[in-house]
Parts: sequence; C-alpha cells; structure tokens
Amino acid sequence: MRISLKWLSEYVALPSPEEVARKLTAVGLEVEAMERTGQGLRGVVAARVLSSEKHPNAEKLSVTRIDRGEGEPLQIVCGAKNYAVGDVVPLATIGTVLPGGAKIEKAKLRGVESFGMLCSARELGLSPDASGLLILPPEVKPGTPIAEALGLEDVLLEVNVTPNRPDCLSHLGIARELAAILGQPVRLPAPKLAEAGGPASDAVKVRIDAPDRCARYAARVVEGVKIGPSPAWLARRLEACGVRSISNVVDATNYVLLELGHPLHAFDLERVAGREIVVRTAHPGERLATLDGKVRTLAPDDLLVADRDRGSALAGVMGGGDSEIAAGTTRVLVESAWFEPSGIRRTSRRHGLKTEASYRFERGADPGMVIPAVDRCAALIAELAGGVVRPGIVDAHPRQNARPEVRLRWRRPAELLGMEVSREDARRILIGLGFEERASDADGATFRVPTWRVDVSIEEDLVEEIVRTLGYDSIPATLPANAVVMPAEPVEAQAISRIRAALEASGFSEAVNFSFVAARALEPFGRSVETGDGSGRALGIALKNPISNDLAVMRTTLVPSLLADLAHDRRQRIEDVRLYEIARTYGTGARPEEAPSAEALQVAGVVAGRRVPVGWAAPGDVVDFYDAKAAVAGVLEALGIDGARFEAPGASWLHPRTSAVVTRGGEVLGDVGELHPRVAQAFELPRGVLAFELRLDALLRAAELVPQYRPFPRLPAVLRDLAVVVDDAVTAASVEGLVREEPLVEAVTLFDVYRGAPLPAGKKNLALAITYRAADRTLTDEEADRVHARIVKRLAAVGAELRT
Amino acid sequence: MADLLSQLEALATGARAAIAAAPDEKGLEELRVRFLGKKGELSQVLRGMGQLPAGERPRVGEVANRVRDEVEGLLADGKRRLETKALEAELAGAPIDVTLAGRRLLPRGHRHPITRATEDISAIFARLGYEVASGPEIELDWFNFEALNLPPDHPARDMQDTFYVEESTLRAGVKPGSVLLRTHTSPVQVRSMKRLGKAPVRIICPGRVYRSDYDQTHSPMFHQVEGLCVDEGITFADLKGTLAAFARAYFGPGTRTRFRPSYFPFTEPSAEVDVSCTICGGTGRKDGKRCGTCKETGWLEVLGAGMVHPRVLENGGIDSKRHTGFAFGMGVERMAMLRYGIDDLRLYFENDLRFLSQF
Ligand SMILES: [Zn+2]
Repeated sequence: MRISLKWLSEYVALPSPEEVARKLTAVGLEVEAMERTGQGLRGVVAARVLSSEKHPNAEKLSVTRIDRGEGEPLQIVCGAKNYAVGDVVPLATIGTVLPGGAKIEKAKLRGVESFGMLCSARELGLSPDASGLLILPPEVKPGTPIAEALGLEDVLLEVNVTPNRPDCLSHLGIARELAAILGQPVRLPAPKLAEAGGPASDAVKVRIDAPDRCARYAARVVEGVKIGPSPAWLARRLEACGVRSISNVVDATNYVLLELGHPLHAFDLERVAGREIVVRTAHPGERLATLDGKVRTLAPDDLLVADRDRGSALAGVMGGGDSEIAAGTTRVLVESAWFEPSGIRRTSRRHGLKTEASYRFERGADPGMVIPAVDRCAALIAELAGGVVRPGIVDAHPRQNARPEVRLRWRRPAELLGMEVSREDARRILIGLGFEERASDADGATFRVPTWRVDVSIEEDLVEEIVRTLGYDSIPATLPANAVVMPAEPVEAQAISRIRAALEASGFSEAVNFSFVAARALEPFGRSVETGDGSGRALGIALKNPISNDLAVMRTTLVPSLLADLAHDRRQRIEDVRLYEIARTYGTGARPEEAPSAEALQVAGVVAGRRVPVGWAAPGDVVDFYDAKAAVAGVLEALGIDGARFEAPGASWLHPRTSAVVTRGGEVLGDVGELHPRVAQAFELPRGVLAFELRLDALLRAAELVPQYRPFPRLPAVLRDLAVVVDDAVTAASVEGLVREEPLVEAVTLFDVYRGAPLPAGKKNLALAITYRAADRTLTDEEADRVHARIVKRLAAVGAELRT
Repeated sequence: MADLLSQLEALATGARAAIAAAPDEKGLEELRVRFLGKKGELSQVLRGMGQLPAGERPRVGEVANRVRDEVEGLLADGKRRLETKALEAELAGAPIDVTLAGRRLLPRGHRHPITRATEDISAIFARLGYEVASGPEIELDWFNFEALNLPPDHPARDMQDTFYVEESTLRAGVKPGSVLLRTHTSPVQVRSMKRLGKAPVRIICPGRVYRSDYDQTHSPMFHQVEGLCVDEGITFADLKGTLAAFARAYFGPGTRTRFRPSYFPFTEPSAEVDVSCTICGGTGRKDGKRCGTCKETGWLEVLGAGMVHPRVLENGGIDSKRHTGFAFGMGVERMAMLRYGIDDLRLYFENDLRFLSQF
C-alpha cells in the first residue's frame, strides 16, 4: 500500500517522515520504502510571460521576455502557442536537469539567444500532456519553485500490510494506527452532502437475493453530473498511490477507496435496466463482459450485481462494460456494499482477476464503513462533476455483521509474554485502538472489537494488540526454565553424516538438485510409481502446475539430476568430476488420504574423468568400474556393513558388462557401474561415466553403527603365496571363496591379475597371498604346507592350474 | 721372540697408517683381510709362534691380542669416520624441488553449503535440547494449511504460491486439490505434536520446501529450518531468549536481535526477527561506503517466529489451556548466504564444482 504523507497529514498530525516510518514498522506495518517526490524539479520556477514576438528566422518559434521574480526579464525562445501574454508558466532555468535527463543550457536558436526553457507538463514529468506549456494559476508568484506551486513535494511510503490487516489498506486506516501510537485523535473527513430533488429510492430499487454473500448494499444517486477530467490535485494523489486517473466520477470512487479503504463502484444509472439492482449468484452459463474487455463465462458460485435483465458487475471484483461510466453519463448510482470475503476470493481466483476491490473484500472490508463511504463518494462526485445528490440512501441490509466481544484475563499477557502488563496499560492501549470495554471484573474485562478489526477474535489477539503497541523490545529475553531432555541422535542422521564423510574422503562433492525433473529424464531408468487402485502406473508423481516441463515430475532416482550436473560441469570444461547427493525419492503411498507419498532417502553418485587429477605424480588413468565400487565400498565400511556382495549385472540403466547389483543377505542395497551407452547418449555424456545408487533404508537395516570388538589371535601366522591360471569368466570372489573353505585360512588377498602372453587367450593369472593361522596353537610350516596343498587340489578340481 | 715382537709392532704401525688413509668402506674391508684375515699378516706372524719355547708363547700371544684389538678398533673407527663423512656430504647436497605438488591419491570432496549451514543450525539447537523431526514433502492441504489456521479461501494463502500434485499420479482416494508440495516446514509442527501426543515438544525440522516462483531471487525449491517448543509456561520472553542465543551462536557473540510485530496465521503474537548486519556489524556502513547487504539499515531479516496459535496446538492434540509454545522458521539459503557471502541464489542448485569446492 502506497501512502502519501501529505494526504495522511489531513487525518493526523505527523512527526517527521522517518519517525512515521519507524513507528509504523514498530507496530507491524513495515515500511519497505520511502520516496520523496518533487525533488527532481529544482531549478524550475514559475515565470510570467511579459511579451511574445515572432522569431525573425523561424516560422514556428516565438521570442518571449519573461519575469522570473528577480533580476532583469529573460529572453526565452519558445515553440508553444497555447499561452497568452500575462500567463504564468514553468521556467527551467539554466543548469536545471529535467526529469527526462535534458540539461538546460544557454543556447542560440536560429540566431536568437535563449536563457532557459518554458516547459510543458510532459517535460516536467507531470503528465503525458505535451500539447503546450503548462499554464499555472494566475495567482502563483513568479519565482515560486514549481514543486511548491503545484504541491508536488511529498513523501510516499510503501507499507507492507499483512493479510490480516485490511483495515490498514487506506490512508484513514494508517492514520488510525498512528493516532493510537501517538495518543492523538483522528480527524475523520466530514462530507458536506447537499441533497436535493426526489428521494433516491424513487430512482432505483435494491434487492439482495444472496444475503449469505452480501450482508449490505447501499446506493446513492447523483444526477446532472458532467463527466470530465479530475482536477490536477486529485489526479496527482491517485497517481502517487499508483492508480491511474480516468474521469472525475471514477476517480472519486478510487479516491474514497484510498482514503477510507472501502471499495465503491459507480454505475451509469441510465443503463441499469428496470432501475433495479439485484445482488444474486450467476445463472448457469451466464456471461458477463467485464471492464477489462473480456467476456467471461460465470460459475454459479460467482456473485453478480445485476439489473432487471442481466449482470452489471462481478460483485466486489470488477464492473461490467455495459454499465460503465461513459463520457455522456449524467446519472450515477454509487454502490457501497459488504461482500462475504471467501466468495470474493473464489471468484477472483477463478477468473484470475485481482483488483483493488477484490483485494480488500477478500481480506474483509469494514462493515461500519459502508454508509460513510457512500456519503463521502456522493459528495465528492457532486463536488467534482457537478450534479445533485438525491436525498437518502437505498440501503438493503439483510444481515448484521457480528461484532465479537473478547474477554481478556488480566493475567493472560504475563502467561503468554513472560512480562507483566498492568490493567491500566492494557485498557489504555485497547481503547486507543478503538476497542470498547463492555464489562470488567477482578479477573479481566470484555472488549468489543471495532468494526474494522476483522482479525481480532480471541484473547491472544488482544494480547498481540497490547504487546505490539508496547513494543516487542519491552519483552525480556529468557530461556525456557523447563529441564532439557537430551535427545539421542537418530540413527538415520548418524548414518547420513558417516556416508557424507566417506564419500567426501573418496573425493565426492555434494550436489543439491531440485526434487522435480523432466519426465524424459526419468524414462531411461525404467521405474514407475503405482497409481489408482494399485494397478496403474506413472513415471512419477507429477505436478499440476509445474514451473516448466523440465521441473514437472518428482524424482524416483537422483541419478538423472547428477548426470545433468555432470553435463553442466563438462560444458564448463571441468572433466574430473565426482558428485554425490543424498535426498528423497518419491513413490506413491498406499493410504493416500493419510500419506499421499512414500518418500525414501537415496544416496547416489557419479564419477567421470581421471582417477587422480592431472599432476606430475598422477598416472593420468581414467576412472572405471572399480573407482565407483570403491566409493560404494567406502560407504558400506563407514556403516559397518560386512558381507555385501557385488554381482553382475546391475540395473538396466547400467552397462550390462561393467555393472553390479549390491546385495547383503539377499536384500538389494543398490547398483553401481558404468552408465548404459544409451543412457549416456540421452544425457549427452561420453562413454565411461560411472554412477551408483544406494537405498538408505536398506543400508540402515544392514548397518552396524556401533562396532563390536572381536578378539584376534596373537599366535604367529604362516604366509604363503599362490598363483593360479583360470578362465576369464571365473570371478575373484569364487576363487577366494574356495580358499576360505579351509578353516585355517585367516585372510586372502588377491594382489595381481594378469592376462596376455604367455597365457592363452581367455585365461588369466590370479596371484593370492594367503595367511594361515590357528587360534589355539602355533602353526607349523608342515601343517601350513598340508593345508596349502589341499587348497591347490580344491582349485584344480574347478579347472585352476597351479602356476609355478 | 724379539723378532716376532718387532714383526707385530711393525704390523701395528703399518695398519695404523693404512687404515687412516683408507678412502672408503671397500678399502677398509681390504685392510681387514690384509691384516686380520685367515691368511692375513697377523696370522702369518703367529704362525712363527710354534717355534718359540713354551714359556715365551704367552707373552707373544698377549702382544698379538693387543695388536688385533687395536687394529679392530682402528677399523671400526675408520668405518664411523667414513660414514660421518658420507652423511655430511649427503646432507650438504642441493635440496629437492619442494614446490612440486604433494602426492595425494584423491583430493577431498566438499559438503554443500546448504548442508553445512543446516548442520550448524541443527547442532546449535541440539545443545538446547531440540530433537530433529521430519515430515513428508508431498503433503496434505490439511497439514500444510488448514491445521495451521489457514482455511481454504484464506487470503494469507497468497503469501505462498503452491505446487499442487496431479491426483492421477497418486493412489486413489485423495480429494481433488488436497495434495501439494509443502510450502514451508511448518506442517511438521502439527505432525510432531500429533506423533508425540503430549508436551513437552522441542523439535527442529530442517527440510526442502517448494513454492511456484522462479526468478533471480526465488527458487521453486529451497530449504527451511522450523523450530517448535511447547510446554507449560513457555512465553514470548523464552522465544526471544532462545533466538537471541541462537543468533549469537550462529553469527557470532556480538550479534544483536530485534523483534518486530508481523503476521503468520499459525502464531499469535507473531514476529519478524532481525539480526544485526553480519557484514557491517550493524552500523549500516562498510569501509566508508553504504552496506549493500543490509541496505544501510544495520539489520537483516532472518527469521519468522511467534507464539503458537491455540488452534494450532489443538490441531496437534495439545491442550491449549494448559500449554503454550513458540515456533520459528528460517530460510537456510539466506543463513548460508550471510555466513559464506554467497550473493546469488542460483549458485546453490547449479552444482558447479568451482562453487562447491569452495566449501
Ligand atoms: Zn550491513
């Protein structure tokens, strides 16, 4: 809400603008900006034209002599024709910079010297009118600064009015708040209504068919008006508050809106069929042409202000084009009503129409302002556009708005605030804000809420009124006295912080991506969520109103987002990338009325580029499956997960030859491997990108976050190496498994894998280091040799040849 | 005998000179063989002992042993001398190029600033006894709005542009328009109260929230931390003290806080909480120039807070006649911006490594 301090000062005596801003902010009406207007016209003064002659060398120019209130008359060359000698006009003196940026300098125009410039309203940035010089009232003394002469100097405040305070969406409302803080009275405008002619009720009838939606409809009739432009002072006030000046009658309604906060509407009474106003809901399929030039099909829930035959306005939202005030309008019906807020909001949203009127009605207009506003507006129309106000108000008032009474227990402020508030302070503040004390006793008092305070209905609201007026600074700062119960860190949080540390130690940096992605980004992953009765399928939970198609479906995997990050970094020529993300994936919930989604945390990562960043000691190898596997293994180790198995192939979005599914005890923990070439292509990535994806819930089930000590044998061990040649298809794990079948084997380390000459194709050599140890005795070389020989035999049985 | 003794004496003299002149360890080893070896000079001399009368042998033997001990000692000294010389030579050599990069297998990865800020905030509240709670991001209208005193058609719903979920992509049984992406972490307040079923409640909830607004200063997804403290006798003064303590812990011990009246439908009274500007220390000016971070006001708006509205307590199953509580919420992106000097919201979700690797 834009507030003009000049305007505001008509209702309350103001301290300095800074003080006004500080005080309003302190009571919850945050002043977001302060603008001084009329400052840009320094150097422009009023000047009287003393003479005007034709320019000797230019047909369209004149040479004038002007009096600027001091010194010798100045010679000015001028192109306008609309003035007469003796007129007072604006003079931009030498050195002035006009609002458009033009700097006035001494100039020679077609050989004649000019010492300044006479200005139009447009040149001064006051209005679009460039038809000629701005002619000032004749009583303005030459030399008066133009801003002073026109009353342009003002301070505008941008006040952030929270949705609970519609009563502050006007100059009067802000004045009321200030007056309460300053302990001053508010000067209400007192309209001077000169009524004449037959009663208004002879000219129009009002009927409310939807009393639940319209509690009151009051109309006044002004006849004999002449539509024309508004006076400059009024137009400037409207424009200062961001409202365009249209015509005197329309401007009068807007002026009263900004002054009193009550939305009004003016109809051309000649165009109200049957001279009858009916407030009713729309008929099925009914259409209305609104003022914005659109023809709207209405819903039966839309409230209309209609005449005998058809709709004239979307009630409380926007007028209709048919009954609009036009240049020839002479009879005006002024509407002042109280519409039910949520209905206005539904209509405003349904039609995407947000107006000054709907904004106030949907927040709650002041029912006590219906009559004062219609009086004020009718008087103003008569003043601005001539005409006569018919006696009386046609007032349909089927329903009284309730005025709640709220009880305040004297001890309640202290209970809620932790600060004593005296009864005297509580009373003084509430009464200053317009509350009426209805009854009181030793425990408390009952207060009647002023009509404009639609936001106050419970005791806590009264406490807030008191404390915001006292100032939040008056409340002490304490800590809750109650004992603190030290909560244990949840297992999930512990696990996540370990996973982060493990991945960061593996060189992964954390990414944070949007939870929604493009549908096409999910397609390659072959996942879906259950819909409907459980038999339906969707790619993921979709948004009704996404920002764009690229942010439309809730992720079922984090991998596509990370691939997009990788592509971004590669475009920035960053090629060695390790990224991880820990976030939720979104499935559907089986009991949607309680939990529409099933949200599961996932840990995912991508790896690309060189294993070690390029450097003098770096071999420069690019990453492969085993780098991604190492990252996964690091996570498993950090969580104390033993006995996880990696089995080829992994999920379908991975390369079938270079990927694995990770399981433990039959439960799938996740997948790791090289991206499937088609997936890489879809994300415009090269071959060889690795990724992994782990399910946090499965990891948690397998985790042993608190390690358990196991005693270890201290008797000497015997070490033996073993090299065997096996088929390529034989896995390391299967060979190690055979070795471990011997109970005296404590550890097996595969320390070399070799393919190539002199081995035949399809064969590989595996070199194993085996540690033998007995828990209860010192193992002899002979005993170890016997076990070692048995292992060789075991391996031979599955086709492994011993290599010597 | 005299002959043998003089031979031994000559041997000792020769050994002294030779060992002193030995150039390296190899030379010393050759001298050991020459003097003390099986076929060495000492053995040669002692071979003549057999011809001596038995009475003279011990005397010659004694001298021979003394000569052997002396030569062995000289050899050991010589070895030490050479080692010292070699070590001194090595230490005196040119240093290696210490400017080459250190050898590391993998550079460490970096934690996202949003996570870092969230962890820091959570840790501070953990010390005050707050437990971390969570709730769904795909939420029911009832928890996100209605339970928080925002009935349908409430104009305050305009404060938050909401993403709604397409019902056909859910399981059957939801009312049209009733499922949305949570617009704040506040629904976790009601969920936590319902879950615990009784006071005291002392939780914080960090998490992702969503609003359908996307421009330079708005992201459709961002992060909040919500806090809730409900018990008997909790007051606005406790709220002030708690948030002042938090602000000092997060922004530094000199940080001041300011509470201004504001409006949230789920708290009454409500407040916006400002902290003294972390950049200019609350003076509004930095290095003689206008402080752009606080726009010269000296204050930064960082939190929304208030006393929990009695209807919200009741919706959480808490008796509002016996209990009071306070709630607060803050934007993590903003908290991280102020802490790390990040000046563009979009950096958070671009995941450019040049950004991430700074944290
Ligand atoms: Zn600052």
